[in-house]
Amino acid sequence: MRKGRVALWAAALVAYAFLYVPLAIVVVYSFNDSRLNAEWVGFTLDWYRKLANDDEMIRAAVNSLAIALVASLVSTVLGTMAGVAMHRYRMRVLPLLVFAPIAIPEILMGVALLIFFVLLNLTLGLVSVALAHIAFCIGFVAIVVRARLAGMDESLVEAARDCGATPWQAFLRVTLPLIMPGVIAGALMAFTLSIDDFVITFFTAGAGTVTLPLQIYSMIKIAVTPEVNAVSTLLMLLTLVLIVVAARLSPSLLRTNQENP
Amino acid sequence: MTRRLALLAAFAAFAAAAAGPVLAADRLHLYNWNNYIAPETVKRFEAACKCEVVQTYYSDNEELLAKLAAGAKGYDVLVPTGNTVEALVKGRQLQPLDKAKIPNLRNVDPAYLDTPWDPGNQYSAPYAMSTTILGYNDQKMKELGLPTDTWAVIFDPKFLARVKGRVTVLDSSAELFAAAFKYLGYSANDVDEKHWREAADLIKMAKPYWAAFNASSYIKELTVGNIWLVHGYSNDIFQANLDAQAAGRKFRILQGVPKEGAVLAVDSMVIHRSAPRPDLAHQFINFMLDGRNSAELTNLIGSGNPNLDAARHIKPELKALPAVFPPKEVAAKLEQLNELSPAQRRLRNRLWTEIRASR
Repeated sequence: MRKGRVALWAAALVAYAFLYVPLAIVVVYSFNDSRLNAEWVGFTLDWYRKLANDDEMIRAAVNSLAIALVASLVSTVLGTMAGVAMHRYRMRVLPLLVFAPIAIPEILMGVALLIFFVLLNLTLGLVSVALAHIAFCIGFVAIVVRARLAGMDESLVEAARDCGATPWQAFLRVTLPLIMPGVIAGALMAFTLSIDDFVITFFTAGAGTVTLPLQIYSMIKIAVTPEVNAVSTLLMLLTLVLIVVAARLSPSLLRTNQENP
Repeated sequence: MTRRLALLAAFAAFAAAAAGPVLAADRLHLYNWNNYIAPETVKRFEAACKCEVVQTYYSDNEELLAKLAAGAKGYDVLVPTGNTVEALVKGRQLQPLDKAKIPNLRNVDPAYLDTPWDPGNQYSAPYAMSTTILGYNDQKMKELGLPTDTWAVIFDPKFLARVKGRVTVLDSSAELFAAAFKYLGYSANDVDEKHWREAADLIKMAKPYWAAFNASSYIKELTVGNIWLVHGYSNDIFQANLDAQAAGRKFRILQGVPKEGAVLAVDSMVIHRSAPRPDLAHQFINFMLDGRNSAELTNLIGSGNPNLDAARHIKPELKALPAVFPPKEVAAKLEQLNELSPAQRRLRNRLWTEIRASR
């Protein structure tokens, strides 16, 4: 028994180390006093100072954040609607339409969207990128929400209806709170997918639209400096704050186990 | 309901904010490689044209071609490499240059004008260039007594045996075949199938001695000291040396131009067919062909310079590098790569796969 416990702990430790050590290294090396960033040289805040003066990098980060926020908000609303619809009604075509963008290779979707936007004569820019991100995020949100709904006790909604709630009220007061963890999980997923997408963004971004992944990728040819570590660290910090705030505002939001009252 | 309205409002505000800058006039959209123009040059051009330079970056000519072929618009000036210009012309992506607006074209060394891929420079004006040469750790190469002026050092087992596992070559079939051709005494653009097989055999024989096919992190490997000899781009090797000096290394990373000749890649400025501001685009091209502005890029990244007027503005330690201003005898042996026909491309891909799969 003890042996089993030790093995379990060891496995968990290795798994978490695998997840978090690379992130820790990124953070530590953002303070490295070496442009090369190949080995530890000394502590410095220079890269953060440099970042503060690098308008291009800041613009890219702000663009990425704005796009991710809009894309995750809109795709969460639409994806939740799709998830609920697919759970409640027997639909043949809708699941196909919603889930197809998940299965389609990114490069294909990127080129297709670009051709589509050009056809519509839409000026490529933040809007086209945000639209593209919404398009591929909806499917992911819908999957998570539908999975959550599948585990929900239907009799609760029926009880609410029996007690005189309108379908809308029953949804808002009963269904939505119950599936909220799924919705939040979907939104977080959409946010992450959006903020680190490269392929689709590359094709749908227009002249002068730079996001963080585009900016970093274009720097790879001339070696990535610790400035990239610095901006990544700040982003991680921001995401962490967002999650902590969300958890504070509603402690049950991030709990994923099913709790039937 | 109100929440949905708020969302809509937020989205509308976002859309307006995003659309705003597009409507603003007086912007030059430059689709460029990252770090491929000096910041002070941008500032001076912005002051001269009373406009703003907005840069977007690509990291590969194929990326640029793919994006434009799909119909992307809004770019004024692009900076494609060598024969990519030809592909863009064939794809009807460019508009001809109005040379009356580019008097500084006379500053360009005639050796780099009137190329096979743009006869008469109808569409393109040379911006900067790089050569694909040898880069090496001066200490190690001296210790090992290896030559640094010949491709033999990366192809001949006689030399390779001494640096086994400390050599990288570019992960590019075009570049590696060209180097092998040069070593074998053929043109970099040789299309004889027999010669191709000969080159492939040469590469396969040398491959066990190489540490990797590496086109991205070899700058770092050189600087750190893990790798002592590379087949790489002159600008990268220059950068590796700057980094090594900044990191206080005891060795230097030097450039070696093989006596057999090497590949030359000239990046050119072209104007996109649907450029929103062709006037600013012409002004920009003319501005960049001014010696001082052209020199600032070379001083920044050690790029080769096709501009004769730039020489007097270039740092002396850079001017001596053969990759910046190739001397006549070196220049005579530099070759720009031609586009391959589809059949040739298939053959090369097949040979490349064989090479990558071989042990």
